[in-house]
Amino acid sequence: MAQDSVGLSSDYQFWIQKLSVWKQASTLETQQDTCLYLPQFQEFLRQMYEALKEMDSNTVIERFPTIGQLLAKTCRNPFILAYDESQKILIWCLCCLINKDPQNSGESQLNSWTRGLLSCILAAFRSDIKEVDLFTQGLGYAPADYYPGLLKNMVLSLVSELRENHLNGFNTQSRMAPERVRSLSRVCVPLVTLPDFEPLVEALLTYHGQEPQEVLWPEFFGAVNEAFLLKKICLPVSAVLCLWLRHLPSLEKAVLHLFEKLVSSERNCLRRIECFMKDSLLPEAACHPAIFRVVDEMFRYALLETEGAPEVLAAMQVFTRCFVEALEKENQQPKFALKTYFPYASPSLVMVLLQRPKDIPQGLWHRPLKRISEMLKEIVEDETQGSSGGPFENWFLLAHFGGWADIAAEQLLTSVGDAEPPEALLWLLAFSSSPGDGPQQRAQTMVEVKAVLSHLGRLLRSPTLSAGNLLAAAEESREGDPRPPACQQLTRRLLLNFLLWAPGGRAMARDVITLMARTDEIMHEIVGFLDQTLYRWDHLGVDAPGSRKLARELLAELRGQA
Amino acid sequence: MDSLLQQLERFSEVLAVSRTTHVSTWDAATVRRALQWARYLRHVHRRFGRHARIRKALERRLQNQWKQEGGSGPAPALGLTNFQALGHCDLLLSLRLLANRALGDAAFHYLLQELFPGPGVPGAEEGTLQGSLALLARRRAAVHMLRSSAYRENPVLQEDSLMKTQAELLLERLQEVGEAHAEGPGRFLSRLWEHLPHNNFLKVTAAALLLPPSSPRHQEEESELGNPRRAGERGRELLHWLLGKSEVIVAFCRNLPAGLLTSVAGRHPEVSRVYLGLLTDWGRHLHYDLQKGIWIGTESQDVPWEELYGRFQSLCQAPPPLKDEVLTTLKSCKAQDGDFEVPGLSIWTDLLLALESGA
Repeated sequence: MAQDSVGLSSDYQFWIQKLSVWKQASTLETQQDTCLYLPQFQEFLRQMYEALKEMDSNTVIERFPTIGQLLAKTCRNPFILAYDESQKILIWCLCCLINKDPQNSGESQLNSWTRGLLSCILAAFRSDIKEVDLFTQGLGYAPADYYPGLLKNMVLSLVSELRENHLNGFNTQSRMAPERVRSLSRVCVPLVTLPDFEPLVEALLTYHGQEPQEVLWPEFFGAVNEAFLLKKICLPVSAVLCLWLRHLPSLEKAVLHLFEKLVSSERNCLRRIECFMKDSLLPEAACHPAIFRVVDEMFRYALLETEGAPEVLAAMQVFTRCFVEALEKENQQPKFALKTYFPYASPSLVMVLLQRPKDIPQGLWHRPLKRISEMLKEIVEDETQGSSGGPFENWFLLAHFGGWADIAAEQLLTSVGDAEPPEALLWLLAFSSSPGDGPQQRAQTMVEVKAVLSHLGRLLRSPTLSAGNLLAAAEESREGDPRPPACQQLTRRLLLNFLLWAPGGRAMARDVITLMARTDEIMHEIVGFLDQTLYRWDHLGVDAPGSRKLARELLAELRGQA
Repeated sequence: MDSLLQQLERFSEVLAVSRTTHVSTWDAATVRRALQWARYLRHVHRRFGRHARIRKALERRLQNQWKQEGGSGPAPALGLTNFQALGHCDLLLSLRLLANRALGDAAFHYLLQELFPGPGVPGAEEGTLQGSLALLARRRAAVHMLRSSAYRENPVLQEDSLMKTQAELLLERLQEVGEAHAEGPGRFLSRLWEHLPHNNFLKVTAAALLLPPSSPRHQEEESELGNPRRAGERGRELLHWLLGKSEVIVAFCRNLPAGLLTSVAGRHPEVSRVYLGLLTDWGRHLHYDLQKGIWIGTESQDVPWEELYGRFQSLCQAPPPLKDEVLTTLKSCKAQDGDFEVPGLSIWTDLLLALESGA
């Protein structure tokens, strides 16, 4: 407690100085400076209130002899009064100074002074529109009656002035001077969360003047973005798009905010992630290539930093899905060429990847899969071709549309035992699980996977199918050496698919999983797999009631355990 | 129903008293009762707002105060003025008490505790008095900031937001007064004219006459109550009064800017008739000074040539039928004077000549 009060005292000195400099925030510099410190000052006011409410008015004066100055100066600064809850906290502080039963003239005077200041806040700036006040009084209206209407009219008038600029082109007379627009954006900084100001904020964001440089004040964008991320303001997508296009730091903050939400909220629930994603308006905004590229870059960075964490991958896949959905909704013909979104990738590859499995009959899914695999193989393994990026770039591209690799795994499993697994699918799986492998290593992986598949196929027909057998089949490598981790992951995935699809698999699903999940990591992986699979089936409308039911049950059980 | 009406009246009295020095006799308990009462009536507003019959009865009772004749000062005693005020009567009461220096320290302290309980009131902030008061303070700061930083008075006066707001309020009040008593508006306006600064009042009147027929909000409320009022009727009482008072209409036509008057005349033919009549009257007061070669007046209140010309010029820029009416008037005046073509003999000739060359 003592430490707090020491901190408070030094803060106090700092703020009193600041307030003396700011005065009524009537100049450009004082306005700018005030805006920069608004949140911190509010926090300070809150701390002051917490301290003051424990004291009676005499103690307050003892402890903070210049409190009168502090509060009075604050009252005179409209930027502070306009911001968020500052006016409320200020009133609370003043309430602490009122003495219920003043014993001497000093206390009476303090009461009187405090009451005056309170009146000032609630009836502030009267001299501004004296004529209006007189008139409305004559009519029998109080400010509380007409202020909302007045503010609305003022906002509407400013909005129509801003919008007129678009229509007037070079008609200099009616154009709003850039300095005025800038000044307006400055005034909006403390007021972005006031609902009356929403139309004005929107008009400013979508305002395009004739000047080549940005005319709005940068802190304005920051304030709007903050308010938007905290859901304190409602803006249409077009306005948010303008915000992010004009102010890169806001876009970056928005993406980071999304990442934080994804990390802290329930992981492994793609449906929830999709909700957050759509809510953030980022997929819609990403229809503009500049925004897509920035968001993509941040995903790329996150993947590199976390070394391909499955959560990040999953989030990126959801983002891409929502993005594609938004693109399609916008118009039949895309406004921008695909190359602008994926500049490092081969356009034909992108076209194939963008195909919606939903539009293709399930039986024909192997065709696009084959194509994807062949194209990727050509790009990645032909070293003479340098143009379409290295393995990582292409893997990164594929990862956007991760659904294809999952479908490949499923296809391999559902046709196990029928015929030789297609090389193309094996290659695709191997590549997606470890893109960094050289051709020989990859070939090795493919061989391993083939072996696992044939083993599983044999077990399918065998009467002695049991959890133990199954697991052994999956985990034993041909030479008896442990497989590299990426390969292990792959075989786990195949095994899980097997459990969901094979008729005998359901009976031993739980046992296998229990045996498989030796670490938390792996358990996590399994839950993620189930969630992703269900999510994919829902979106593709896959008809497999039995498998679906099993997957759902398993997921619920495992989630309950965790 | 009756008890409700009585409560309404009694609270209205309390509200009126809350701004007087009488509150020095109030203690914490009185304040508490007054606030409770206000809260109750706010609840009544919420509950019966859509209930046409009850609302009508409440409105009528409140309108009674406008029936009072004369009354000293610019404003009536000021209890509750209309049904809408009921919706935030607790806010009105609180603001009055907060500003009233006559309220004792103990009572004031209690008031503050009630109004500003502090943090830890989650969720329903907007509904609370604390929230509303903070919002009011915030809005006032907003208006101030807009005014001092970015706002410019709109040269088209009737579109200026301050003017528009005042005009809307005036028409609203007139409507209520009119419902209470048929001759209410006229008397009310006369009283306003006596007590308020004329310049602003005239501008607001002009703006009110130029407001669009009826705001969407009113239309919504009207249809809900099943009582459609004709659009444009609101301005009629104002117009009627304006044309009926010669002192006012003369000041109106004399002091307001030419462009504004042209707009009003264009919209209301009765005004254009009076306006033209006045202009021709003023024109006749001027005579031609041979030495200086200009038209001048003899008395100080005579309208100078430049102003006369300016007003006619503005009128001629209006769309027909006003423009035609003006030209016809000028031509007939010129004919009456002898239909001269030479300047210096008839002011009407000179005006027409100047308008043609200027146009």
